[in-house]
Amino acid sequence: MHTIKPAASQSSNLIKSLALALLAALILGATAYQALSSGNDIALALSVFATRFLGIFVEAAPFLLLGSLTSGLIESFVRSDDILRWMPRNKLGAALGGTLLGLVFPVCECGVVPVARRLFSKGLPLSMGVAFLLAAPFMNPIVFASTWIAFGPGTVFFGRIVITVLVAVTVGTVIGSFAKSKDALKEEPLASHDHEHDHSHGATTRDKLLHALQIAGDEFFEMGRFLILGSALAALMQTLVPQQSLLALGTGAVLSVVFMQILAFILSVCSTVDSFLALAFVNTFTTGSIISFLSFGPMVDIKSTLMFTGVFRRKIVFYLVLLPFVMNLLAGVVINVALGN
Amino acid sequence: MTHHHHHHAASSAQRIDRVAWAKALILLGMGIYLAYLIASGNLTNYINLRFAWLAYVGTAIFVLLATVSLYVCLKPGAGHQHYQISWDMLVIVAFPLMLAILIPSRSLGIEAINGGISLSPVGVESPAAFRRSPLDRNILDWLREFNRGAPASFNGQQVDVTGFVYREPLFAEDGFMVARFTMSCCVADAYPIGMPVSSEAAADFGAGDWVRVRGELQAGKFGAEFMPVIIASTLDAVDEPAQPYLYP
Repeated sequence: MHTIKPAASQSSNLIKSLALALLAALILGATAYQALSSGNDIALALSVFATRFLGIFVEAAPFLLLGSLTSGLIESFVRSDDILRWMPRNKLGAALGGTLLGLVFPVCECGVVPVARRLFSKGLPLSMGVAFLLAAPFMNPIVFASTWIAFGPGTVFFGRIVITVLVAVTVGTVIGSFAKSKDALKEEPLASHDHEHDHSHGATTRDKLLHALQIAGDEFFEMGRFLILGSALAALMQTLVPQQSLLALGTGAVLSVVFMQILAFILSVCSTVDSFLALAFVNTFTTGSIISFLSFGPMVDIKSTLMFTGVFRRKIVFYLVLLPFVMNLLAGVVINVALGN
Repeated sequence: MTHHHHHHAASSAQRIDRVAWAKALILLGMGIYLAYLIASGNLTNYINLRFAWLAYVGTAIFVLLATVSLYVCLKPGAGHQHYQISWDMLVIVAFPLMLAILIPSRSLGIEAINGGISLSPVGVESPAAFRRSPLDRNILDWLREFNRGAPASFNGQQVDVTGFVYREPLFAEDGFMVARFTMSCCVADAYPIGMPVSSEAAADFGAGDWVRVRGELQAGKFGAEFMPVIIASTLDAVDEPAQPYLYP
């Protein structure tokens, strides 16, 4: 079953070196910039970076672990046949189903990527997986609850649901229609196929569990590197870009939405808590921009974009960022115009 | 040919062994790190304690995964060895651990202020804050309170707040701001807020020093703003509080 793919391994080596170079550059750059621009001593600047970075990591790592565990359990206990039997036939139906899959797998944006990747390897259709990836970080009971607690049953809560479903279904259907799974997804690095029969038939529950936990550990490393690079990048951006210069742009039907989406991308806050964060902007920013912040942030941010690159080919990653950005922007502006602010 | 093949298989098995050990030790290290953050109280430097349970969940899963990995290392053949893990993953995932070991844990302080400080509150107005008596109000409570009335309407009210000293070049010699970071979820959303203070003893305190400010409010001009200013009667140097951030 194993085939050697020199081209793929070369490109993954390139990504590895890029990743390491990026990491080194980040640390040096952050340190040097702070030291030069504000006269602070290097140790202090590094300590601010460390606090910001470790804060994001400590908050996000448990969610990634939960996602990795889910991924491991799917690998051990769910068979491809079972998934394929339940699939809707057409792409729109699959995409719609994908948006609701989050209710079965309650994961935030750090956890959704490993789960989606695992489901792809089990034969999940592309349109459904993409819709799942975009919608699940919000469309799950935990995030419903936090949004409800923060905003109550009003424009923001229902706006967030409608826009998330609309964008996820559209992007899922579009990508599913224009790309094939084997062209969109990266070469299968998962050790799934050749062991499938060992684990799905005849293995004891204990063996399967052990296998699931091993897979979960591997998954944490595989996806964790993207989470860590993304957290480092987000911490760096926060250290360099003054938050108040963004806050000054809170009014304006279009500009406010653009900036809230950029803020969501940079901050990379987990979807389970982003509602509480959004509260901070309610007084200064337009309602449309708050809703766009909440619907765009869980779909795409620095962390998840990097994690996407571990699943999809580069071209698909590009569309996975661009399409949700444009659609959420449109939705936010329409809401602002409708509400007259 | 056969010999060559053997040699290759042996070195690849060694590599797998090293990777397996590294994986197990990093997972264990992560679990120990989270447990240490909880035990030492340093967790408050990073996340809102409302989400402290996340660190408990994280510790438990890390220890579970580390135990399984160690078990597989110690009992060869106990599990299937799937190695999708490469060295770059190990290095990157070990990065937070290295940072945590090399750099002493600190909360965000004055050197993290990037582009000024806010005179307005963050987050929704919580009704509980208004029921607090004036002397129990923190900086965030006061800024929320200021949204509800004209600056002069607070004249004469007693204030007792703690924060760190923040100055800008244009501040008068006897003026500074007593500042805190607010945090809704984790340091990703940390945001500096502050109240203006006027005191003869202002010059005794350096930027970033933690200070307890007691005094009364008097509406006055602070920069371009007309707002309540604390006319301090006493300034006391204090240690950084156990919970350095204010939670909206």
